[in-house]
Amino acid sequence: MKKYGVLRYSTLVVLFLYAFGIVQAQEPKPIINASLVGKVIDATTKEPIQGVTVQLEAVTHSVQTDNQGNFQFVTGQKLPFTLILSFLGYEKKRLVVNSSPAVIELTPASADLDEVVVVGYGTQKRRDLTGSVATLPDKLLRQPVSSLDQTLKGGISGVQVTQTSGQPGGGVSIRIRGGASIQGGNEPLYVIDGFPVYNQTESTGVGSGTPVNPLASISPTDIESIEVLKDAAATAIYGSRGANGVILVTTKKGRAGHVQLSYDGSFGAQNVLKQIDVLNAHDFAVLRNEALYDANPNLGAYQYRTKAEIDQLGEGTNWQKEAFQSGKVYNQQLSLSGGAEKIQYYLGANYFDQDGVIINTNFKRIGFRSNIDANPFDRLQVGANLSVNKTNAQIAPTGIVNALLIMPSTATVYEANGAYTLRNPFENIFANPIATLKETTNTSQGLRILGTSFAQYRILKGLQAKVLVGVDLNSRDDKYYLPSYIYEGAGTKGKASLGNFDGTSWLNENTLNYTGSIGQHNFNALLGFTQQESKNDIFNAGAENFVTDELLFNSLQSGSTIVRPSSDSYSWVLHSYLARINYNYANKYYVSASLRRDGSSRFGADNKWGNFPSVALSWRVANESFFKEIFPAVNDFKIRTSFGTTGNQEIGQYQSLSTLYSLNYLFGNNVVAGFAPQRIPNKNLGWESTLQYDGGFDISLLNNRLQFTADYYYKKTKDLLLNVEIPWTSGYATSLQNFGSVSNRGLELSLKSRNLQGRVNWNTDINFSFNRNKVLTIGEGASSYISGNYIIKVGEPIGTFYGTVTDGILQVGEENSKGKFTGNATPKAGDRLYKDIDGDGQFTTANDRTIIGNAQPDFIFGLTNSISYKGFDLSFLIQGTVGNDLLNINRQNLEMFTGQQNASSDALTRWTPSNPSQLYPRAKLDPAPVFSNQFVESGSFVRLKSLHFGYNFPKEWLQGASIKNLNLYLTAQNLLTWTKYKGFDPEVTSGSNVQIGTDSGIYPAARSISAGISLTF
Amino acid sequence: MEEGFCAKPIIMNKQFIQMKKIHLLSTVILIFLITISCSKLSEDPAGALVSEQFYLNQDQAIAAVTGTYRKLYETGQSLYNSLFQIGVEMATDDYEAGPRARNAHVRAISNLTHDASNDRMEQLWKQSYDAINASNVNIAKISAMSSGQIEPTIQLRLINEAKFLRALHYFNLVRWFGAVPLVTSPVETLSPQELFVTKAAENDVYELIIADLKAASALPNYKNYGDTDKGRASSGAAKSLLAKVYLTRSDWSNAKLLAGEVIDKEGYALFPEFSDVFNIDKKNGSEHIFSAQFKGNSGYQGNSLASRSAPADIPGINGDYADALHLEGGLYKSFAANDKRLAVTFTTGMLSPTDGKYYPLAKPQFNKYYDETVVGNQGQSSKNTPIIRYAEVLLIFAEAENELNGPTLEARNALNAVRRRAGVEGVLASETKDVFRESVFEERRKELVYEYQRWFDLARRGAVYYVAKLKAAGKTNAAARHIHFPTPQRELNLNPNLSQHPDWINK
Repeated sequence: MKKYGVLRYSTLVVLFLYAFGIVQAQEPKPIINASLVGKVIDATTKEPIQGVTVQLEAVTHSVQTDNQGNFQFVTGQKLPFTLILSFLGYEKKRLVVNSSPAVIELTPASADLDEVVVVGYGTQKRRDLTGSVATLPDKLLRQPVSSLDQTLKGGISGVQVTQTSGQPGGGVSIRIRGGASIQGGNEPLYVIDGFPVYNQTESTGVGSGTPVNPLASISPTDIESIEVLKDAAATAIYGSRGANGVILVTTKKGRAGHVQLSYDGSFGAQNVLKQIDVLNAHDFAVLRNEALYDANPNLGAYQYRTKAEIDQLGEGTNWQKEAFQSGKVYNQQLSLSGGAEKIQYYLGANYFDQDGVIINTNFKRIGFRSNIDANPFDRLQVGANLSVNKTNAQIAPTGIVNALLIMPSTATVYEANGAYTLRNPFENIFANPIATLKETTNTSQGLRILGTSFAQYRILKGLQAKVLVGVDLNSRDDKYYLPSYIYEGAGTKGKASLGNFDGTSWLNENTLNYTGSIGQHNFNALLGFTQQESKNDIFNAGAENFVTDELLFNSLQSGSTIVRPSSDSYSWVLHSYLARINYNYANKYYVSASLRRDGSSRFGADNKWGNFPSVALSWRVANESFFKEIFPAVNDFKIRTSFGTTGNQEIGQYQSLSTLYSLNYLFGNNVVAGFAPQRIPNKNLGWESTLQYDGGFDISLLNNRLQFTADYYYKKTKDLLLNVEIPWTSGYATSLQNFGSVSNRGLELSLKSRNLQGRVNWNTDINFSFNRNKVLTIGEGASSYISGNYIIKVGEPIGTFYGTVTDGILQVGEENSKGKFTGNATPKAGDRLYKDIDGDGQFTTANDRTIIGNAQPDFIFGLTNSISYKGFDLSFLIQGTVGNDLLNINRQNLEMFTGQQNASSDALTRWTPSNPSQLYPRAKLDPAPVFSNQFVESGSFVRLKSLHFGYNFPKEWLQGASIKNLNLYLTAQNLLTWTKYKGFDPEVTSGSNVQIGTDSGIYPAARSISAGISLTF
Repeated sequence: MEEGFCAKPIIMNKQFIQMKKIHLLSTVILIFLITISCSKLSEDPAGALVSEQFYLNQDQAIAAVTGTYRKLYETGQSLYNSLFQIGVEMATDDYEAGPRARNAHVRAISNLTHDASNDRMEQLWKQSYDAINASNVNIAKISAMSSGQIEPTIQLRLINEAKFLRALHYFNLVRWFGAVPLVTSPVETLSPQELFVTKAAENDVYELIIADLKAASALPNYKNYGDTDKGRASSGAAKSLLAKVYLTRSDWSNAKLLAGEVIDKEGYALFPEFSDVFNIDKKNGSEHIFSAQFKGNSGYQGNSLASRSAPADIPGINGDYADALHLEGGLYKSFAANDKRLAVTFTTGMLSPTDGKYYPLAKPQFNKYYDETVVGNQGQSSKNTPIIRYAEVLLIFAEAENELNGPTLEARNALNAVRRRAGVEGVLASETKDVFRESVFEERRKELVYEYQRWFDLARRGAVYYVAKLKAAGKTNAAARHIHFPTPQRELNLNPNLSQHPDWINK
């Protein structure tokens, strides 16, 4: 109960501040003795602008224009007046007015420099930034994708986005300036309208396959802007959660006057990018005969199928074709926004429905958003952002893609009697994937209510107090049913499970913000205290042995075997103090410093608190008078540098404590509860801290038509949270300790160019990022350790593949000379040969391994072009990753040539006595899988990531129908890809920290094309 | 405390509202008041227990020991749930990696090409020490409990159960790896002294085993456990294991003494029918001295050996076929045709539970744990795996007596009790001591197939015997060093105070 105390209390504070506003409203108004009326219009369109703030210089009093652009002043001063006009998206204007009424033109902001950028706990003008903050081009925001993180692909330098699953609503993995953590989290922090959330999935222990991306429960169509904070100057204010970068998401707001009803709907289809070539039934039967003959020559060459039968076989079942489909993508958004001077609103409703490229997989979201901002009283500003979204997904079970590839083409989907073929006839671990897909119920339903509300009170001129409270209620129901008539459910006669996750996170932020100037000295200071607590409950239950499959998971009590239910609960708390000061002298010399002090419940008793400072300097050289004289073509030039520390607290809960875990045993044939120790306690467990240096500059040339930004950074992450291996004799395998360090250094370049302006508008955004990752230390005395197919080694980057090196194929007559390099006890011609790395005269899998590739790219880039002419607009994003390797596990499975499971079409050129191949080994019933460089491929690619073509109907056509705007468009994703990678798609990763770049049965990515209409009334 | 702090400012708010002019002050104060937070930073796991909150009462002590029993097999390929088969028995003349054994390390053990980085042998080491640590924690923490927290008789029993389990795991370790580190107290800090232990001489390890088992001999007789406690270590279990320890050390007189005590005083008996040993309805019966307990299809754990030896391609059986009979070893042929154990131990064909057809097998497969009540996944077999059973105690007695006094009537009676129950003739009185010894070993081999005993029996006869037997079975890579396992390379890498087994240096 007490956890909600703060929430309750904060609500009262908000009410209290409202009450204050009432008091303030009674203050006396200025004396009326003169009036000025006028109208503000757009300098290019000549249309009135509503909501412009018009202020008399030297007086605090200001008014706003109405929906006709008109304003009226009553003041104690006399003509001429000096007016200051400001409005978002327009250049601020200061002018002297000699007569009333006055018509004033405002010019749309030509450069992005005046653009207001959202930063941690506030906003800043782009030109005043001292840190590295990038804004996602808004063109990329309108892609029809299921979650906002997918819009980041290719859009921002230093941000690498890779797909962890092509499953509708599936996830992506994001690395900002490289991954540093080996065992902690590497994903950035998302701050949605001020509410920090991590994009992590909590498992309920029910269901199978890639879970739904939690960010898919936020509709991307409601998003106004996305900012990415990269360097320490920008992220240190997020302290212990800033080390992986911060993504700030701001949702749409209403604007005074413009009552706007908008509808956007698109409908499209998506298809798998390609199929993997595997053997048809005829070729598979030949392979299987060969493998069986090799194992038991005495039984003859036709143990599986006779020659005549093989000739009849033909293509057989194309399992991929059976499973892949053209899936629909359906996206609709309706919004109403507007407001008056004192209150603005944005109301949005969205519906998103996507079918996967694999049958019976889909994702649906329905939700609404309500954002309200109000100035009830002069000094008080209040606001509330609330979104409610319900999602529903049917997920492809784990291993389905792998099963589709290796299911023999001689097997059929159905038996002659119409029942499903249960499984691969030769391998008991692989079920019939089509039956699995069609008959398994594997759904995940989510409900997320995310809301923040704030009250901001102006105490004095320039001094604002703000109280923000927020809550994130995130619940999920997973439902799973395996019917008795498919292989997976046959053993248990049906299996039903239900899982529930219930997460509640609340936030309270209290900040004081002061902005002021004394002469040329401009200040902005921030002071605050924040607290966030998250509590999560998990429960699951299940049953087996049903007399009917009709009831699915809806009647667990009718299963005669009850699966032991389980539940868990965990929570974390973060307390933070924060302070920041931004100072500049004459808009030339900028200094900012910030400090956050975080206390986290996740760490050891002796190490709860950490300090995260940063300092940044910048010099707007262009504002120096000498510079303007020498370089008149340069509109702006700023040099920046920053240094600071951020942390990473993503280690899960209770890792420092000597917890016990539940471990049952049987006495008297009954299950009895037991417990066992889980770890050695570590009271010193603390943060991972990242020291980051950033140096960069921003330059604008030729009337701001060219804007170039370059940043160099060096990040060193130390005290890595590492499950340090300890001797097993202790009773434990590892202990979580702060050990080791990793560095990331890199260069980010981005260029914005307005190539053509006028009748034809053509803009180009290009970004390039180079990141170099290196493991510096991994604990005392250790220089490397092997993690599966990877090695973590000092001096090498994370994601280094470690395996054997192939060396051709053993040929007839070489059995005695080279046979010991096959790793087989009884070598035979046609076996694969491997290099003897350790030089001991023989090959062994364990000892003859070396570094055989790396999953880190040399560089990544994105190129966005947008061209508009009359009503037409065309934009496209070309994106690429160069120099990385991928581990193609699918291929490793397909190159086994066992005859037990299907093989890649390369098996056609396998070694046979008549085809002494040096590339592909012989058919063999039971080869041991060996991880070698054969399966490490170049993952470089360049792709036309998105293409958007639209037409805006001329306004005069629409006036009769009182339509403000009508746009028809076509949009496509992943239209073209250039790559040598043999798998489904090069843009994949397993999503784990260490095993990056593993492509193992990942749900394949899709190509999608949609047509849409966008209407504004 | 927190409630109080949270409530106070609310009362103050009302007063502030009255005071228009001091809104600045009031706001600042408010901001500071709100910083008195109501959430706490200390971790208090709701879904997990912390050891400081444990061992506070009798139920908790019981639950802690229960958890340690489970470490006989925890999850996946675990000690008494197939790891013994995969990681140990493959290296004998009776077993080999089946067609579906995909793990190269398992195939290496089967071919005797394993080395110090063999992952299955690493698991033997790892899981045994994990269980030992859990026992050490139990012994230390339960010993420290007061009589107000736990009934002294239960306290003693639990400590002795933990000692029994610790002895069992050390006994396995010392037989596999020779000299091993002897950790007898819980590891509670990350200090080098606690982590970087040295190996103790085999003799020291055995001293601990013997002391623990002597202590555990004070456990209740198995009949004195209630129905809900069946399956716990008992006085008979401790004495039987101790007899086996002495036998392994060729301490024949103590082996005979202890085995005799079990036979005379503990109240065990052979089941009339061999098949009852593996009858689910007769679990923890008069012959089962100590077993790993399984219960499939109940949300609990099944005995996965059933699946590992079951054929892969019979509808409704869905076996793994990763364990296979090594035909060249001659085990199958050594059974007399009328031996009742043959049909329980092996199967040569199976009835499909789904289509009702009979499927003959290419070669005999193991059948002891095949659970006919399970359709589909044989990994859900509910059959227990015996760790020590009465038939073996009789064979221990016979062997020890023969070594002491030759094949006396006493020795023959013990051996023949096992043979006659199987429906085969007793051994002849004319057998010499040496012949009788081999008879006992052959009987152990046949009686205890698939019960994790063969490697131990071969290894304790010494390198010459082991190598000869394996070579005779066609496993030509067998060498003297194979009567021990190499100390895992990982441990050598992490612990500077550890050294490789002398036979395995540079192998």
